[in-house]
Amino acid sequence: MSTGKLMLRGIADMARHPLPQLLTLVTVCMVALLAGTGLLILHNVQQEVLKTQGQARFQIYWSASSNMTAVEGQWADLKRVPGVAEVSTFTPRAAMAELMRGLSAATPAPVRRVDSAAGNAAGNATGDNASAPAPTPAPGLGPDDFSWLEGEDILPPTALVSFDIPPGEAPEPWMGRMYARLRGMDGVERVTYNASQLNLATGWIALIQQAAWPALGFFALVVGLVVGNTLKLMMMARRDEVEILSLVGARPWYIRAPLFANGAVQGFFGSILSLFCLKVLQAWLKGTLDVPPLFLKVQFLPAWQCFMLVLATTCVAGLAAFLAGRK
Amino acid sequence: MLGGVQALSDVSLHVERGEFVFLTGPSGAGKTTLLRVLYGDLKPSCGAATVAGVDLMRLKSSGLPELRRKVAVVFQDFKVLAERSVFENISIALEVRGVPPASIDRRVRAVIRALDLEERSYALCRELSGGEQQRVAIARSMVVNPELILADEPTGNLDADLSRHLIELFKQFNTYGTTIIMATHNREVLSWAPEARQVHLVRGQVTLPTAEIVATVDPMSSRGRA
Repeated sequence: MSTGKLMLRGIADMARHPLPQLLTLVTVCMVALLAGTGLLILHNVQQEVLKTQGQARFQIYWSASSNMTAVEGQWADLKRVPGVAEVSTFTPRAAMAELMRGLSAATPAPVRRVDSAAGNAAGNATGDNASAPAPTPAPGLGPDDFSWLEGEDILPPTALVSFDIPPGEAPEPWMGRMYARLRGMDGVERVTYNASQLNLATGWIALIQQAAWPALGFFALVVGLVVGNTLKLMMMARRDEVEILSLVGARPWYIRAPLFANGAVQGFFGSILSLFCLKVLQAWLKGTLDVPPLFLKVQFLPAWQCFMLVLATTCVAGLAAFLAGRK
Repeated sequence: MLGGVQALSDVSLHVERGEFVFLTGPSGAGKTTLLRVLYGDLKPSCGAATVAGVDLMRLKSSGLPELRRKVAVVFQDFKVLAERSVFENISIALEVRGVPPASIDRRVRAVIRALDLEERSYALCRELSGGEQQRVAIARSMVVNPELILADEPTGNLDADLSRHLIELFKQFNTYGTTIIMATHNREVLSWAPEARQVHLVRGQVTLPTAEIVATVDPMSSRGRA
């Protein structure tokens, strides 16, 4: 009998033991759901951390004498660079207004252009220009009155650009490449970035990566042990069949191929069922946690993780059933 | 050795092709252990043993199917698949050998007819009486034309009439040339086949030698041969 026929027989024979098969399916589903929930938490923590911490910021200073039309064209180009999360730009006039506001609380709030989805960029665009030559104050004004600076273009155009470090990229080399690219733009005089921000981003990413693999290993171990032993227990229901087949001279593969098929089918459908349950759980959590003050948008597992969960469960279940056919 | 206990000792036994041998003795004498050795379920710890041309001392697990295709076994507790039909239980022995379906159908029907199971061909084995289940087990062992049939107390769960009927069946197959070694402690069963040779086991040793049984008394040269 061919291997295919043997496997089909193994699947057909599942109907001979409906209760053990059903209980095993439920167990496999529950264990896969547990592992899937762990993966879901890990995935969403990772997304949340990367969203809030995994960014690199560059402050770009153009020459004060740069043509503003050309600079604004470069700003537009910057927004199209892959991985850009936010671009905050400052014209010399806006930068001056920001400076004035920093120097004097009495000065009206300046206009700052923020080109981002969130629109909450950090306003550290002025600090690096404190060394620019300050004009002479107009006579007759108080020490806190800097309104005389209005209309002066003493500050260069600047842009604060935030990038999401691409997944899988080592932050420092990536930052080096991005620095060189930004520094090479026409009219750019200086580019700075916050090293502590880089370190923080690097630290978070390293922490997630360090936590992710042990967690994945743990879930794989749980699935392996529980599903494996459950399948072996289920095969107790078929031990008479295994014994009789062995007595009448069946070769090991003849005995084990149907068992393998049985286990693999259990693992496959159990994990698929668990993904449905996980989707229901994720939909419920999404509606429950996306409220003030949490605003957590719980995302479902990416396709590759779903695939790996199904594949791992199917393989483990099939292998456990196969091994259960040993004497 | 079985579980740290010496289950068989100084057993020397030679059975000719076509013989009918009763293995007798009280419970715990080692009858089942000896049969388990003969169908490769247990490996002797020392000595020599050859069954149907297979050297049991050198037998690896990969060679077990070959031995089991020459040696059929019938048990006291029948060992049939309760959720499968009579036909399926018998045909399984041919399926594992790769016999074509048409041949399987012909041979199974022949054996079913011989064992008077025609009316129950497609009944599930759990619906059968003990005697019928034992006949299914015997049919499964007969259908492959084995060189040797080992029967471990096959009449243990049956009444006297059924037991006698089964012994007649075994005798019938024996006349066709199949070697039969049957373990029993029932003296009545022995009387139904007076022509069969008897080998008596007590505490793992042959104690009632016949003309063809040699019990080695020197423990340094203990060898078992079947």
